[in-house]
Amino acid sequence: MTHEDFEAIAALDAIGAATRDEERMLNGHLASCESCRRSRDEFAEAATLLARQLEPVAPPAEIRKRVVDSIEEDDEEENIIRAESRFSNRWWLATAATLFLALWGWREFGIRVARERVKSQDAQIAELKSKLESLRDHDDKLASEMAALASPETKTIALAGQQASPSASARVYLEPSRRRAIVFFRNLPTNAKDKSYQLWIIRADQPKPQSAGVFDVANSGNATIVIENLPVETEMKALAVTLEPKGGVEQPTNSNFFLMGG
Amino acid sequence: METVNEALLPSVARGDTAAFEALYDRHSGTLYALLLRILANPEDAQEVLQETFVKAWTNAKMFDAARGSEAAWLISIARSRGIDKLRSRKIRVDRENDAGREISIHSSFVDSTTGADRAIQSQESSAVRSALSELPEAQRVALELAYFEGFSQSEIAEKLGEPLGTIKTRMQLGMKKLRERLRDFQ
Repeated sequence: MTHEDFEAIAALDAIGAATRDEERMLNGHLASCESCRRSRDEFAEAATLLARQLEPVAPPAEIRKRVVDSIEEDDEEENIIRAESRFSNRWWLATAATLFLALWGWREFGIRVARERVKSQDAQIAELKSKLESLRDHDDKLASEMAALASPETKTIALAGQQASPSASARVYLEPSRRRAIVFFRNLPTNAKDKSYQLWIIRADQPKPQSAGVFDVANSGNATIVIENLPVETEMKALAVTLEPKGGVEQPTNSNFFLMGG
Repeated sequence: METVNEALLPSVARGDTAAFEALYDRHSGTLYALLLRILANPEDAQEVLQETFVKAWTNAKMFDAARGSEAAWLISIARSRGIDKLRSRKIRVDRENDAGREISIHSSFVDSTTGADRAIQSQESSAVRSALSELPEAQRVALELAYFEGFSQSEIAEKLGEPLGTIKTRMQLGMKKLRERLRDFQ
């Protein structure tokens, strides 16, 4: 189609007489044709002459009032909408701020809880490390004791139960070279809370017994102690056990022996 | 209409109610006459007139002076709404019966007490009528049937008992002449 063809359609379109197809084709063309757009505008303006030829008729006065009132109402509604919109915006701002604070607070709380948890876990780790160290020490000690028991130099001394506890017994594993001994006690009565068993070394070169260690016996009736810095074998005459005040004493307070041997 | 005053729509677009009232005073006579011509019913015409001005208030920002005059913009809104109303209420048939009343409507609402604007418009409409009178009757009738009655090309052809091509040519020639005469009123 030529520009003249589109102009002819524009002339009909100005008075609403173009068909739908013509209208569609025209609009498609106008999108890219400045001169036809100008023609369309001129025809549209020219068409208004048909209206402008009519003798003006004053509408009833109340129509003017109605129209003006309606746009003022429209204005008021718009103001209300704007005001509501402002209120709504403020409300949203307040809500957003509250939400932000709540989320921030929750996050801070979460961080604090996490920090406490980390601190607690650090403490647990430290405690476990300490226990591990202790177990390692214990392991070393047991290994040492096992080595001592297995050594060919180790000598054994048996202690027998006395009148206070006839069924009790003890075995002493002595390492003369290290002046050390491990003693395993069996079937001793459980000592009272304010008492302790005390092992005594009765030396040939000294008239008074020498304390070799203090120990408690639980329900099982068994106990183990390691004695360091023992007197040399030749100086040790016998070993005996008495029940003494809690924590032990310098010298035996009684002669009621629970075990004795040498 | 437009020739006597500067455009008010830019002020209306800024929410100036005084400008809007001036716009109403300036154009309501022509628009109401147009709507009476289309609808032939004062109540309908008043209703559409009100709608037209409310739309002008809300859509004033869309007015582009480079594309046409303020009067043309308002007339285009009023005519479009008037034709829609005409079609929706199917009053075309009734209109035939109201033909006699139409004349009385026109005469009863012509207001000799209107202001300067309306007096100038009245002079202008007279000049336009004079210019349009130069159109061949067949062309003028075809244009008016489309413009005021909302008839399609084929409806006009049927109504006038002419071939569709003839009617199209008549309308196109008539519009070209109107465009030529438009320069006298700008």
